Amino acid sequence: MLSFIKAESFKLSKKLKSWLGPLLVMVLVLIAFPLSIDISQYDLDKFYFSIIIVSLLMTAFVATEGMFEEDFEDGSLEQEFLKEKDFYKLVISKIFVYVCLIGIPIAFIGALFSFANGVAVDSFGKVFLLLILSNLLLFNLFAFGNALSINKGAMLGVLSSLPLALPVIILLGRAIRSIQYEDGFFAVTTLMVGIGLMVSAIMPLIISVALKTHID
Amino acid sequence: MKLFSVQNITYSINENKLFHNLSFEINSGEGLHIKGGNGSGKSTLLRIILGITSPSKGLIQSYDQDLKISYLGHKNAIKNYLTPIENLELLFSGDDLNVAFEWLNKFGLSHVQDELTASLSFGQQKKLALIRVLAQSSDLLILDEPFVGLDQATADQLNSFLAQKISQNAGLILTSHITPMIDCAVLDLGAKNA
Repeated sequence: MLSFIKAESFKLSKKLKSWLGPLLVMVLVLIAFPLSIDISQYDLDKFYFSIIIVSLLMTAFVATEGMFEEDFEDGSLEQEFLKEKDFYKLVISKIFVYVCLIGIPIAFIGALFSFANGVAVDSFGKVFLLLILSNLLLFNLFAFGNALSINKGAMLGVLSSLPLALPVIILLGRAIRSIQYEDGFFAVTTLMVGIGLMVSAIMPLIISVALKTHID
Repeated sequence: MKLFSVQNITYSINENKLFHNLSFEINSGEGLHIKGGNGSGKSTLLRIILGITSPSKGLIQSYDQDLKISYLGHKNAIKNYLTPIENLELLFSGDDLNVAFEWLNKFGLSHVQDELTASLSFGQQKKLALIRVLAQSSDLLILDEPFVGLDQATADQLNSFLAQKISQNAGLILTSHITPMIDCAVLDLGAKNA
């Protein structure tokens, strides 16, 4: 497994556009959205978290686009299948690396910008943690969408993964509220950790089957 | 030593039989050249042997659970945004990596080893893909059109490398429109859809 993680980290680090692009999109949206409205007209602090959440959704989608496509196109998936007979380790390593190299920095940027919402400095850790957990879920779901859409058209992936992302957004909204009102943070976080672990274990299995179907 | 056998393989696409009741076996130190027209099922047969594609009927029996197979398909499985050296570092480590670097010299790619693979010619990329296969210590090499894109000198060189692999007791299956200059059995799948 370590060799997979090492190889995937190396590959992703060499693809500047793949990891830096989503981070820049996140920063741009978080800066541009407040600038594009007359903020004096509104209490920005009331809905700035929504901007962070929507940006998170967008950047997670952008970041996972092409996650498996390149390996499929250049024949690496076939080679991987010959070695391992399935893709479970590859998928789990890929998602792990994407979460570490893209998801965590995105979560950090989101948490940093949350101060625009008047979040207290001591809540930084909570927001950061929630955004990481959300990214873990979103990256798994969008990786599934990407695996489906390798050679069957991108729409299939979008149509199948976006509805699955909506509960994550609702859960994240609930978690953010628990920080704002200091109520039930532990319960929501525990729920997210539980779902995150389940999704991280099961989703790679489903993705693995989808990838096998593509190379057959 | 027997490596594997193909037993009564049939493969059909949309009720169109590509091949019917095909049987053969490969032993170590033996080569098999699969030839046939475009669409006759050469690549499909290789993919069935590899277990990537399932046959409509029949069985592939491997005599060694730990059979090491190196495969060169239509796709090169190399990363265009990495240099040849980095591509090899992704696949090999330790002594195997040194062996792979020696193959870079043998194929005359040392002078481009630090350039992006995307900037190499088609033939050079093909050589890199061949290095990926030949540098592995495998019991069986399966090569799909290995001579495509190679100049005559490199094709001759490849023939001698393959002959060397067979003499070292590896099994070899290759598809090619060019008859390889190595001693091997021939399986002719005929013209398209024969």
